[in-house]
Amino acid sequence: MEPLPSSPTGSAPPETASDPDAAARRPAAGPQVAPARNPQAGRRISFSPRTAAVAAGALLLMAVLLTGTGYRYEPYAEQPLIVSSEVPSEARPLQQFTARLRGRQRALSARLDALMPRGVYIVIDQTQNRLYLKRADETLLQAVCSTGSGMVLRESTGRKREWVFDSPRGRFEVRTMLRNPVWRKPDWAFVEESQPIPTNPADRLDYGTLGEYALYFGDGFMIHGTLYERLLGRAVSHGCIRVGRDDLRKVWANSRIGTQIYIY
Amino acid sequence: MRASAIRTVAAAASLAMIGVTAACQRGAEPAAAADPRADAARLQRTNAQLQKQIELAAGKEFYLVLDPATSGLTLMLKGAPLQRFTVLGLQVGHPRVAWTSARDPRHVQSVIWSQGELDPPRQIDRLVIQSAEPGKETPETTPPPIPPTPEELYPVPSRYHVRFADGLSVEILPREADASVGRWAHARAAMAEKWRDILSALRIANRDAIRLRVTLDPKEAQSFYRSLPPAVRLIVLDGEVEAPQPAVTAAEPAAR
Repeated sequence: MEPLPSSPTGSAPPETASDPDAAARRPAAGPQVAPARNPQAGRRISFSPRTAAVAAGALLLMAVLLTGTGYRYEPYAEQPLIVSSEVPSEARPLQQFTARLRGRQRALSARLDALMPRGVYIVIDQTQNRLYLKRADETLLQAVCSTGSGMVLRESTGRKREWVFDSPRGRFEVRTMLRNPVWRKPDWAFVEESQPIPTNPADRLDYGTLGEYALYFGDGFMIHGTLYERLLGRAVSHGCIRVGRDDLRKVWANSRIGTQIYIY
Repeated sequence: MRASAIRTVAAAASLAMIGVTAACQRGAEPAAAADPRADAARLQRTNAQLQKQIELAAGKEFYLVLDPATSGLTLMLKGAPLQRFTVLGLQVGHPRVAWTSARDPRHVQSVIWSQGELDPPRQIDRLVIQSAEPGKETPETTPPPIPPTPEELYPVPSRYHVRFADGLSVEILPREADASVGRWAHARAAMAEKWRDILSALRIANRDAIRLRVTLDPKEAQSFYRSLPPAVRLIVLDGEVEAPQPAVTAAEPAAR
């Protein structure tokens, strides 16, 4: 029995000389069959020299565009001076205008000077643990100190309080100056040592730990001496500023009530 | 005859020299005597800057004063200079995309820049201690280690930025590269920096509209990174940058 031309077996219809598309439909012989057998060879054919040239051009263009992308630096130049219409052009009014401006400049300079600290002031760099004693632009003393450790202490029982041992930032002033200071230990000092918090205030007093002098500048913070001079230069305190004995003597000698303290 | 000719030529040359000198002096006169209107305009600007400095000194925030005329970058609070850094070089950078400049019309001198923060930020690793119950004997352990120094605690990147609100970024660049780092490492760092610049310039939002590149001595660049408080403000004063001065070491302890 002969199979029908449109049978599901999928056989090709019989080719006749009168069918003009037959040659086009017929699979090409030889190299055209190769891609099915060798995919690598097929890829090579699709990456024509023209495509390669376009890709190379695109890459080059992108490189050029990226080279011109980013930041262009030039030497710093002062803001150009613009003479506004407010400035008179005639000689006499201009003289008066300039005189007024000079007067204002003097007044502003005086106001700015008034904001600067008077006399000796203390500067503390709490990240680098340095204390400076300054007067205007002059540095009288540079000392190594210890500032707040940044440690967090959590109470496991009771009120479950939390303390962060940072030195404060900002401007302060010496409020009290104490010779041979006695430390009245706060609650955290007992919590840290796992000791019960005393009910008798006398049990809080600690002699000798603060060194020879203490300069109290508020909120429980002081500049004081230390028993642990080998730790100076490291952030180990509970927020106070610890200074070595010799440097503390110089700070004490140059300070008075009201001396400005700047901590950054 | 010949001698008189020589005398004539010499006299003519002398007269010419006198003439040239006089012309030079006349030429210099207009530069010395400035335009009075320009003087007034400069005074106006100086007063505006003084006003801004008073505003900064009256505020609670820390602020930086960059003075190109004295090559100084000073950290201040309430009018008190806290720490001064010597500026060895100053450049202004503007973004550009595909060779097209995206220049910001503002001048760095024109405003007070605020909310400056370090980028990358200075990390603070806080040690958290949970207290033991009072009266309870804690087991004897090894003594606590000596805490690290600031240098160990805060490593400083080779270059970094202080980014302000409104698009100003101050790029801190150490003057000399670390000699211990090889050429390959330098090239890699430069390429990484270029790549970051490209990405930053391509960003539409939150890109650095103006960059101020400040060159500092490497030690001062490190110190600046470790010292800078948060939310700092900045003002750039009048004046041109002077020729770089030799690096000045930190203030000597006068009383020690």
